[in-house]
Amino acid sequence: MKKNSLVYTVVFSFITAFFFVFLLSMADRMTSEKTAENERKTFYTSVLKSFGVRIEEDEDVTLLFNQYFPDYLEGDNLLKTSAEGGDISIKLFRGSGLWGTITGVIAFSGDLKRIEGLQIISHNETPGLGGRIDEEWFKNQFKGERIGPSGITVRKGSGSPDSDSENSEVDGITGASLTSKSIETIINDNIDMIKKEVE
Amino acid sequence: MGDKPSVILKNNLWNNNPIFIQILGICSTLAVTNNLINTIIMTVGLIFVTGFTNLTVSILKNMIPDRVRMIIQTLIIAFYVIIVDIILRAYLPAISRSLGPYVGLIITNCIIMGRAEGFARSNPPLISLWDGVTSGIGYMWVLITIAFVRELLGSGTLLGIKVLPESFTFWTIMVMPPSAFFLLGVFIWICKSIILKKESVKSPSVQLSNNSKGTQSPGEAK
Repeated sequence: MKKNSLVYTVVFSFITAFFFVFLLSMADRMTSEKTAENERKTFYTSVLKSFGVRIEEDEDVTLLFNQYFPDYLEGDNLLKTSAEGGDISIKLFRGSGLWGTITGVIAFSGDLKRIEGLQIISHNETPGLGGRIDEEWFKNQFKGERIGPSGITVRKGSGSPDSDSENSEVDGITGASLTSKSIETIINDNIDMIKKEVE
Repeated sequence: MGDKPSVILKNNLWNNNPIFIQILGICSTLAVTNNLINTIIMTVGLIFVTGFTNLTVSILKNMIPDRVRMIIQTLIIAFYVIIVDIILRAYLPAISRSLGPYVGLIITNCIIMGRAEGFARSNPPLISLWDGVTSGIGYMWVLITIAFVRELLGSGTLLGIKVLPESFTFWTIMVMPPSAFFLLGVFIWICKSIILKKESVKSPSVQLSNNSKGTQSPGEAK
């Protein structure tokens, strides 16, 4: 058969595509359990970190998670527990960022007056700009932040984190105003939602 | 062509470097270099992908119909990139998380397609693998140099470890893509000056052959 004939081209393309896609799906199947396990662990770690639990390097996250949340069922999006500082409510959130969905958890104090912490589980923001929402300095600003009458305000980025936890304001990310705005919207929506759910 | 491995190594690392001579893969140079760890892992991924893409394209070169050549090459590139992504997600989840979309972006790197078209299509498998790997290394050392400067001045750290004192004012621009643009410009300037200096010492005939080499490989226009 000639190499440039139509039939050969079609058959060759089909076989190559089939072969490579077949290999990929095999690789995916072989690692799917491990990947799912990793995702579960990431989730557990985020939830625990959101209200300030220290996790040692070699600690079993699953065990620790079950201590705090013995009746957790997969798919719950509001978790409750009590820690040293009192009751904690943790809300899972998903909302739209600039490029894609941002998912994560917010921990609230039992009386819903303060945010205990914020953790990002996944995002598709621009690396180095919006992607910096996952950096510690940004997330730490939410620790203990008082929730004002209109929720939390993410200010225009000034380059240095906001250390005042009474003013209901955090510093945004320089060069990523849209992502900062998205975070503000997501957090305030979730504050409203959790307030309704509790009432 | 039939170049010796040592010649290929020298060309890909310096004389015909994918970044400062061919000006390929600039997008990722601007985006990824604000952090050394990400840069290293992404470039290692790229070395793997260019190497194996070249190998595969070279093995299949006599069977690939001309009309669908580019599509098949893209398919092969995508295959290896997704393999890298799957491996990272399963075995190095923390790194996979911090790299995020970078891994997928390796697909769009022109160096891979450029080497597959310009070299692997007309050379035997093993030397093609070597060419792919060395091209990747040529890309890697330039990116690491830029990332070193950017991470140091932008965040005061190297590989995430603090090296500059708190009193140092960090250059916010170093974290943002435009700084890579300036740094890359300066880098190309320095390298070209060195090359020109060397050439002016050599005889004019050598200079001619070097110039023709620079414009030879196709896919350069991207």
